[in-house]
Amino acid sequence: MRRGLFLPVVCTLGFVFLYAPIVSLVVYSFNDSRLVTVWGGFSTRWYVQLFTDPQILGAAWISLQVAAISATLAVALGTLAAYVLTRFGPFRGRAILTGMATAPLVMPEVITGLSLLLLFVAMEQIIGWPGGRGMTTIIIAHVTFCMAYVAVVVQSRLSGMDESLEEAAMDLGARPVRVFFDVTIPVIAPALVAGWLLAFTLSLDDLVIASFVTGPGASTLPMIIFSKVRLGVSPDINALATIIIAVVALGVVVATWQMRRSMRGRRTS
Amino acid sequence: MPDTQTVAARKPWLDPAQKPFVRIQKVTKKFGDFTAVWDVSLDIFKGELFCLLGGSGSGKSTLLRMIAGFEAPTSGRIEIDGQDMTHVAPYDRPTNMMFQSYALFPHMTVERNVAYGLLREGMARDKAMERVAAMLKLVQLTPFAGRKPHQLSGGQRQRVALARALVKRPKLLLLDEPLGALDKKLREETQFELVKIQETLGITFMVVTHDQEEAMTLSSRIGVMNEGEIVQVGEPNEIYEFPHSRFVADFVGSVNIFEGRVIEDEPDFIRLASPEAGCDIHVGHGVACTLNQTLWYAVRPEKMRLSRTDPGGAFNRVQGVVQEIAYLGNLSIFRVRLDSGKVVRATRANVARVDEEAISWDERVWVSWTDTAGVVLNR
Amino acid sequence: MSTPAAGRGPMTRLLAALGLSGRALVIAVPLAWLALFFLVPFLVVAKISLSEAAIARPPYTPLWEWEGLRVTLFLNFENYAYLWRDALYLDAYLFSISTAFISAAVALVVGYPMAYFIARSPEPRRTLLLMLVILPFWTSFLLRVYAWQGFLRDTGVVNGLLTGLGIIDEPLRLLQTNFAVYLGIVYTYLPFMILPLYATLVKLEQDLLEASADLGARPVATFLTITLPLSVPGMIAGFLLVFIPAIGEFVIPELLGGPDTLMIGRVLWNEFFGSRDWPVASAVAIVMLLVVVVPIVFLRQIQAHAEERVK
Repeated sequence: MRRGLFLPVVCTLGFVFLYAPIVSLVVYSFNDSRLVTVWGGFSTRWYVQLFTDPQILGAAWISLQVAAISATLAVALGTLAAYVLTRFGPFRGRAILTGMATAPLVMPEVITGLSLLLLFVAMEQIIGWPGGRGMTTIIIAHVTFCMAYVAVVVQSRLSGMDESLEEAAMDLGARPVRVFFDVTIPVIAPALVAGWLLAFTLSLDDLVIASFVTGPGASTLPMIIFSKVRLGVSPDINALATIIIAVVALGVVVATWQMRRSMRGRRTS
Repeated sequence: MPDTQTVAARKPWLDPAQKPFVRIQKVTKKFGDFTAVWDVSLDIFKGELFCLLGGSGSGKSTLLRMIAGFEAPTSGRIEIDGQDMTHVAPYDRPTNMMFQSYALFPHMTVERNVAYGLLREGMARDKAMERVAAMLKLVQLTPFAGRKPHQLSGGQRQRVALARALVKRPKLLLLDEPLGALDKKLREETQFELVKIQETLGITFMVVTHDQEEAMTLSSRIGVMNEGEIVQVGEPNEIYEFPHSRFVADFVGSVNIFEGRVIEDEPDFIRLASPEAGCDIHVGHGVACTLNQTLWYAVRPEKMRLSRTDPGGAFNRVQGVVQEIAYLGNLSIFRVRLDSGKVVRATRANVARVDEEAISWDERVWVSWTDTAGVVLNR
Repeated sequence: MSTPAAGRGPMTRLLAALGLSGRALVIAVPLAWLALFFLVPFLVVAKISLSEAAIARPPYTPLWEWEGLRVTLFLNFENYAYLWRDALYLDAYLFSISTAFISAAVALVVGYPMAYFIARSPEPRRTLLLMLVILPFWTSFLLRVYAWQGFLRDTGVVNGLLTGLGIIDEPLRLLQTNFAVYLGIVYTYLPFMILPLYATLVKLEQDLLEASADLGARPVATFLTITLPLSVPGMIAGFLLVFIPAIGEFVIPELLGGPDTLMIGRVLWNEFFGSRDWPVASAVAIVMLLVVVVPIVFLRQIQAHAEERVK
């Protein structure tokens, strides 16, 4: 094939488009000046401001808790859903489960958020639970939409997995539950890790759904960021963004490296 | 009965007093509208190495999976050692399976793979490890006990899979294309090793394969499957020399088949008129048939003689032109177009390194066969 | 060797005693969760969209009342009539759909060459590029939209650059425009476009392309007759993955759009948090659901079709 310049150029521009805003956040987080256009010299004062802001720290703590719990539950439920859909063959309710396990992926967040809030209100009226809204309701909401992502990730791994591994374990005398924990889980472990990280990130990132289903006292980090950003430039948010980007970049690089290493091991097989 | 003889020599299937070890009775399996296995009945005897031979989609793997318990028969019954196994879960069956993909657990070492089944049946750890060590020694894998499957060669992995399936001392070992993933040379070596291990342990083997050569070398008996049905069961030479149908004759080895009409039906011979062959076919034994019935006569290529001169006689000889010669080293295959238009295959062993007199392309030759060379088929 | 008599484990026996099979239980858990927290909520929304706003907690009239055994239903379609009468809502729906459509189309045009380039790159560059596409997705969506604010505002990077270079004297108005909204959507949803495209393009076997070249097709012809038709499922999937969520987008029009950029997600938000009119917000949501459900079903069918082909 002719080696044109068109594709590399478009691709490069695409990546510039993807990364320029992120890079600018990082750069300006070290800008002493409040104005984006003016370079006021290198400074870490926004970081200091960030780490002394009790509101932000409190919200971050709530967000991390919510994300960790939601991700864990979402992995459990999403894996079950994926397992049922890839391994159980036909059963009643299969079509509904398939639809419900993928629809949250594309469902507009405002709909998900509003509908869950109204459910919680209705439930409280009828059965008295959940009494008020806060972290619990956010976690339930996040589990629901994150488990769809987990299900997709795990499903693709499960359907790529050699089913005779599970049959072999069964043939050697392991009952289905045992097979699941001895063979299925270890083999799909990379997908579980990926699913957890994805769910964690999505939960940590969610503004709209959390805004609907939260109650007084439970403000997540995105809510604080949103209210600050709405008011205009806030350089401490740049600092926060930089920290998040650094953590994510590090995590993704390590994860990719790990995955490639284990893949290489497999491929020689 | 003392087991001094191998099963192949004792031939328990010829003795009606012998009780079969595995009984498959009228088993049918349907997947929706598709019938994978249709009304299969099969008896397998203790210590046999039984091969299910068939093409892809013949139902042989489905039958194997029903014996292992991965599929439930739509109807019929499967019995192993006198116990009904039809609806017993795979983890409760006295069978073990060696998978085509080997299905070695990628996250466990060789040792743990082999020990897995023993630990599942609740055997104490040190006792299990002893058994594992003995088994690894048998398959010559002791130095690799600590390795993961992806650190092994194809042949080594095949042996781990075998060891893992054998270590539980199943009553019946099921092998799904056991040698399919190995290259030709390794496959031949492994075939003999497999037979040796089977004879050492005295375990009944049931092998699924599409490779007729493999089936011939390994088995005490072969069951040929086609479109979900067992079309013939017999010892390897029976299947080869006395096929019951054109399908079996054609599927196992290669064959020339002539259609003919019975024109003489005597107690000790019959004669077929065969325009397809271009001569009358004389069969040197009696056949249950009627006059004018259409039958088929099948002759293996190695039983066809080629000569430049007329072999004489009034039948079983036709003339043709050599169209193609394939040189395979040990033998050569000739494709000869008969005067009737039919193309037949004949093989000649290359006994001399250089054959000055060799028949070559476009030569006109006589093709002939004796009156015991072929088999008469009515379907 | 275990015998059939040893049969079942204690867990299985316990479940059997309760009249349940383990299989049914495993199916029931995710099914029940999703039914309760994904399906039932829509029914609640539908119900509330048929009630009236009231100054109460919660702020709507009950839909039915119990009187002994008699149930009185109050169905009120006023909220839907209101959405129809007030041009604001219809405009917002149409504007949302057109915005989502334009953005998805632009994302397709931008994403296709990128996906193609990545899929045709040799390893390990392919993995690296793919990682680079996914990486922004892992960082905060909100912060990435915020970054564009900094880029586009009158005193922002773009205007600073342009005035600095002397190309313009007055800062261009970039923020609070529809352009900024398109940009924001394309930017944040681009990975959703590239990934399915990449997945179909990378599966396209080199043999096919070589066969095409061997049969005399030039690269452009090969692309038009082989690559493009075979990547249609990926294009549709990517398009829908951008189009569907973009319809209900709230953050992007809120932060990058102007006050008149009334996308329906924003209208719903304002109706709910601003006017506290839950019934109207619910009616808005139900109509929006009807708008997105068709493309969702379509997407689902494409995915099911693709799965079948893999099998």
